Amino acid sequence: MAFRYRLEIIAVVAVVCFCGLFLYTSSLMSDAGYAGSDTVGSARVAELAGVSAEDFRPLVPQWEPPSGEIESGLFALQAAVGGIFVGWVFGYWKGQKNRSS
Amino acid sequence: MHIMEGFLPLQWALAWWLVAAPCLIFGIYRLKRILEANREALPLLGVTGGFIFILSSLKLPSVTGSCSHPTGTGLSSVCFGPWITSLICAIVLLFQSLFLAHGGLSVLGANIVSMGIVGPLAGWGIYRALRDTGVSMYLTVFLACTIADLCTYIVTSLELALAYPAEVGGFATSFALFMGIFALTQIPLAIVEGVVLALVFKYIVQLKPEILVRLKVFPEDRIRAAGSDS
Repeated sequence: MAFRYRLEIIAVVAVVCFCGLFLYTSSLMSDAGYAGSDTVGSARVAELAGVSAEDFRPLVPQWEPPSGEIESGLFALQAAVGGIFVGWVFGYWKGQKNRSS
Repeated sequence: MHIMEGFLPLQWALAWWLVAAPCLIFGIYRLKRILEANREALPLLGVTGGFIFILSSLKLPSVTGSCSHPTGTGLSSVCFGPWITSLICAIVLLFQSLFLAHGGLSVLGANIVSMGIVGPLAGWGIYRALRDTGVSMYLTVFLACTIADLCTYIVTSLELALAYPAEVGGFATSFALFMGIFALTQIPLAIVEGVVLALVFKYIVQLKPEILVRLKVFPEDRIRAAGSDS
């Protein structure tokens, strides 16, 4: 069988290439705002519909995070919940495996 | 991939809800069946679901000068099939529409269809097509995850283009426009997501091959061979 850490190396190379590509393209595009593609898409919808984006009213009333800080905090919370699940299960499996071997 | 609240006309929002609802009900049924047969599958569900939570909250910059997030649905789709994945996605998307103003309750159906149904279904299709061929397990998982991610954004473009055909050129022009925003941004992210989830799959194979054998994710001899490799 091939080298043990082949997949790990491919993953690291992919992530490094992704970062490199990002740094290269961002140096070319000085006006890029790095807004979410959702926001960009919504702006296009407004253009196609011929009204301004503010004229779109929620069909169902909606709570919005009062600031970007709170929003990113809630996103971090979501990732943390996922991370806890993943870490807990991998630890559980690792413990089971060590015991049985 | 979130369509924002209010950005789909009522009839389209309802139509996508009608598509999503039966899939979710079928997902609940499938989940019950799998857990009754296999309590051991619950931790695996925690891992695959956990990655959907993590990856869908990471907004990464991309080469088009805007940010987008991976979906993480491919791994769950390979292990549990697309319908259970729909259910996990519905939970994630509900959280995001209630607390983050990403998506909303009326457009939740459309967002579930793109991220929870068509994306995972496409990834699962690739996986099923490659499972019993000689293609490496990790390459199969990589392709399934990448395709699931990309298809999610293609469907978002489709949903918006259907609701907002351009005055000149109609649906096709709109679709090309939205594909440029969503799908193009997504290509590098989808590739990185595929690689990362293939690596996660490798660790599952090493730590808990039994459960993958039990769920018949891949033929037993291949899982055993890869698991004993470490």
